[in-house]
Amino acid sequence: MSFRRIWLLVWKEFTQLLRDRSMIPLIFIMPVIQLVLFGYVIGTDVKDLRTAFLDQDGTTASQQVVDGFTSSGYFVSVARPTNDAGVRRALDGNVAQVAIIIPRGFADQVSKGQAAQLSVIVDGSDAKTASVAQGYAGSIVANLSGKLYPRPATKPGATTPGGVDARVRVLFNPTMRAVNTMVPALLAFILMMSTQNLISQSIVKERERGTLEQLFVTPIGRAEYLIGKLLPYVAVAIIQILIVFTVGTLWFKVPFSGSVAVLGIGLALFMITMLGQGMLISLMSRTRYQAQQANVFLMVPSMMLSGFVFPLSSMPALLIPLTYLIPLRYILVIVRSNFVKGSGFIDLWPQFLAMIIFSVAIFGLGLTRFQKRLSD
Amino acid sequence: MRRILAIARKEFLHIIRDKRTLVAVLVIPLLQLFLFAYAVSFDVKDIPTAVLDQDHSAYSRQYVNTLQQSNYFKITQNLTAPGQIDGVFDRSEDSAVVVLPPGFGDAVAAGRTASVQVLIDGAEPNSAQLGQAYATGLSRVYGFRVAVEQADAKGRSTSSGGLSMLARVWYNPEGSSSAYLVPGLIVLLLTITTVQQTANTLVREKEQGTYEQLVVSPIRRIELMIGKVMPWAAIAALQVVVISGIGLLVFRIPFRGSVLLFAVSSILFVVCALGLGLVVSARASSIETANQMAMMISFLPAFMLSGFVFPLSSIPPVLQFVSYLFPGRYFMVITRTIFLKGGGLEVLWPEIASLAVYAVAMLVLSSLLYRERA
Amino acid sequence: MPWSDNRPAACVPESLVHSDDAIVVSGMRKKFGDFAAVDGIDLTVKRGEIFGFLGPNGSGKTTTIRMLCGVIEPTGGGARVMGYDVCSEAEKVRANIGYMSQKFSLFQDLTVDENLKFYGGIYGLSSEKLAERREYILDMADLRGREKELTGNLSVGWKQRLALGCATIHEPKLIFLDEPTSGVDPTARRQFWELLYELASGGVTLFVTTHYMDEATHCNRLAFIYRGRIVAEGTPQEVKADLSADTILQISVDRGEEALAALEDMPAVQEGYMQGSLVHVNLGRRSPSEADIEGYLRSRGFAVTSIEPVEPTLEDAFVHLVTQQGGRA
Repeated sequence: MSFRRIWLLVWKEFTQLLRDRSMIPLIFIMPVIQLVLFGYVIGTDVKDLRTAFLDQDGTTASQQVVDGFTSSGYFVSVARPTNDAGVRRALDGNVAQVAIIIPRGFADQVSKGQAAQLSVIVDGSDAKTASVAQGYAGSIVANLSGKLYPRPATKPGATTPGGVDARVRVLFNPTMRAVNTMVPALLAFILMMSTQNLISQSIVKERERGTLEQLFVTPIGRAEYLIGKLLPYVAVAIIQILIVFTVGTLWFKVPFSGSVAVLGIGLALFMITMLGQGMLISLMSRTRYQAQQANVFLMVPSMMLSGFVFPLSSMPALLIPLTYLIPLRYILVIVRSNFVKGSGFIDLWPQFLAMIIFSVAIFGLGLTRFQKRLSD
Repeated sequence: MRRILAIARKEFLHIIRDKRTLVAVLVIPLLQLFLFAYAVSFDVKDIPTAVLDQDHSAYSRQYVNTLQQSNYFKITQNLTAPGQIDGVFDRSEDSAVVVLPPGFGDAVAAGRTASVQVLIDGAEPNSAQLGQAYATGLSRVYGFRVAVEQADAKGRSTSSGGLSMLARVWYNPEGSSSAYLVPGLIVLLLTITTVQQTANTLVREKEQGTYEQLVVSPIRRIELMIGKVMPWAAIAALQVVVISGIGLLVFRIPFRGSVLLFAVSSILFVVCALGLGLVVSARASSIETANQMAMMISFLPAFMLSGFVFPLSSIPPVLQFVSYLFPGRYFMVITRTIFLKGGGLEVLWPEIASLAVYAVAMLVLSSLLYRERA
Repeated sequence: MPWSDNRPAACVPESLVHSDDAIVVSGMRKKFGDFAAVDGIDLTVKRGEIFGFLGPNGSGKTTTIRMLCGVIEPTGGGARVMGYDVCSEAEKVRANIGYMSQKFSLFQDLTVDENLKFYGGIYGLSSEKLAERREYILDMADLRGREKELTGNLSVGWKQRLALGCATIHEPKLIFLDEPTSGVDPTARRQFWELLYELASGGVTLFVTTHYMDEATHCNRLAFIYRGRIVAEGTPQEVKADLSADTILQISVDRGEEALAALEDMPAVQEGYMQGSLVHVNLGRRSPSEADIEGYLRSRGFAVTSIEPVEPTLEDAFVHLVTQQGGRA
């Protein structure tokens, strides 16, 4: 094994890479764009839902209801229709996403201590909003209920009103900024996209151009070739991770409570897995376009089933076994837990074990098949 | 015209012969359709929860039951000591821990305020926010129920009053994600395939050097452009039909609007996507960059900035502005409205106009770019 | 190690190699699945020879070269190249040979200098040696002043010479050239062969594959490979010897292809093929007068411009050999 030859291969790869004018900005700008997009879009908490209020009662009590919703920060009043048709128009016309109807006689019922009911209509064509809106509405209604209906004194002489008071404390990410978990997740995601893609494109390009063979009549050994091939992209991946980490902690002010060691080792294992995947893809693709198709094909389920975008707990039972097959799932737990909660190796040993298994299996498979193909 | 058709035919044959591409444009979108339809769910429920019941009374058990029954929380384990709580979170075993202190049951029985501690892992922000809301709400509900029971037991008439809500979901009564997603998927898949394919197509010729050949022949660049792009337009149309069909037949989503309007807006959108692809291919220097650029311009905005899964109303203004620059946004509103709400031109004219303007702009831009030396 | 490229055992005993042998091939085979690309070949190439290796596409030419260069392993038999066994000493083989392929073995997106630096480093040249060779190659390839140009922008003739330069940067004593003059105009081709002669006169062995038959005549010795087997071996004269008694007619006619098809139906014609726009037919031992070619063609509406007997060329020989094997050239 000659270091000089490996170094030459690495140098050649970088020279070729950098010569491609449009590639450099892509390598450095892509992560930032993804960071911005994912951070601000997925990471955004649903609020300011456009709401139409149909107040059929027009009393102080009904106004209290409206205020209760608008002051929560989740609902914003955009329309005050005066009848059902108005409500329908508001929702049909995409003016409002939610409509709240306070029935006539509301204040009356409340003062008499009778049960009263609000109608909450959500635009189901936007499921996330719909479900979140219902959730918040429910919570606001429960609070309003407590305010509007003084609690019945159930025992003579009882001094406190009774009931159950839930003291909720949010640990580890008290502001619940979604960005705080999105940025660490992105470290893994960008690693995945970039490494797998760049490696497979590069190898396939050499095969397409036929320059693979001319390397093998020289003293370059298979191992040297592989190392020389993989190293540049490892370097690129590291740069991208550093960019995301820096921008994430400095610009997005995501707090980092973890340890670089845990993060580093977890991401390194993940990178090895992705390199293996890249090699496997390159074996199956004859053109760069096919490699790209394979890349996208693998990326979408990874995004969907790993807990990256959609919470795993909401996954339908049928799909849950599938989620265990996705490496991203495990690294996400590692990265997020470490970043936000400072979880260490011991806490995360199941995930680390899974990562080790994946990296050995996939990289090993990629390596042996690659080796075999090169020998033919 | 004949020249255009000749190019189109050549491109078409090329596509047909490449089995992998065929699979990519027909089979994979379907796979993704099913994947999205079943995997995407925003309903936060079954939040994994651990319970530390230090009270062990009938009331505490009843409370825990209420949480479990609501389907919002899923009790996965019962802890025995407060010291275990940290470990649960550190290992990300559960997203919430409910602590019932000793004396809980007594307080409830005596009609005093009983307190419960709910610890939520903020590292799962989606569940955290809603979990918070659910916990608070459910506790009140429980408390109220108990109060009523107690009052009843005493024979007191109580105001059984309380505020509740009746939630109705319009346009998607079963709350099936598929109904909401299929129209969106049409947008997403169409964007990805069309833009990427188009971008690739022309760059491939450039790389292989066959581009020069064609340029020297009596064909004009514009004709080349149109000819290469035509088969993809046809495939895009096919995709729309197939996905819509499956949505209607298999997922049984409604189609409440006008077919004509849908067809027209689809065509407009396809033109926009093609235009985008052409612009990418004109600027990209190699296939890899074309692929990456196409991904950046097609997939990411279509997935994130079109309102596909993530509501646009909540994102910062800068990104809102950016979202206007991509056609996906407009077409998303159009498809959703046509499929699920039945709106027509009177509601959709702003979006359709935007698509039309975008299409024209793209065509002009790409023909300008193709007139200069590649 | 999983990626070692050596089989432990040698496949050709050292005893088979004489001191003046550059290449000794013994019973070499390569099977891909059930398909035998190379079906047991034997060859010897002496040092300092220009050895031509000819055969149509798919005949096993490229596979043979790959095995000789130590790139792939034979499935049976083997070879010794420069004394090193291709099965057990592939690395040494590769370090001691030069290779130039049809695609010129150059990186199109690197500059001239960068290609030189890469190959020089790969073959382990010291910086002084590399500088010295670089000067030599730039002169030889007439690339002075163009060192910073992208290789992809060079025209074919220059690329070819640069490729030869990179292949010989480490001054190997044996060079494999796989279709080195493909796509190059005749003048450049001639100049290239001048360079090759220079190398050969310095004692370097050249193993050349080509499908230009006229180039084959530049070689000292030849071998024809067809369907994985060597069908002829020897000097160009020896290879043509089989045909020396045959009558070869060169016919200039309109619609050559059709005329050829018609002629092949004639019992007197053993075999025929197109040589450019001319038709060559082999009458075997018959004399031209025995077969009235002209009349035959005229009666079928062809306009014959001229018919004359010619000396058998290598191409004639090749077609003859292939037809003998039952195939079509």
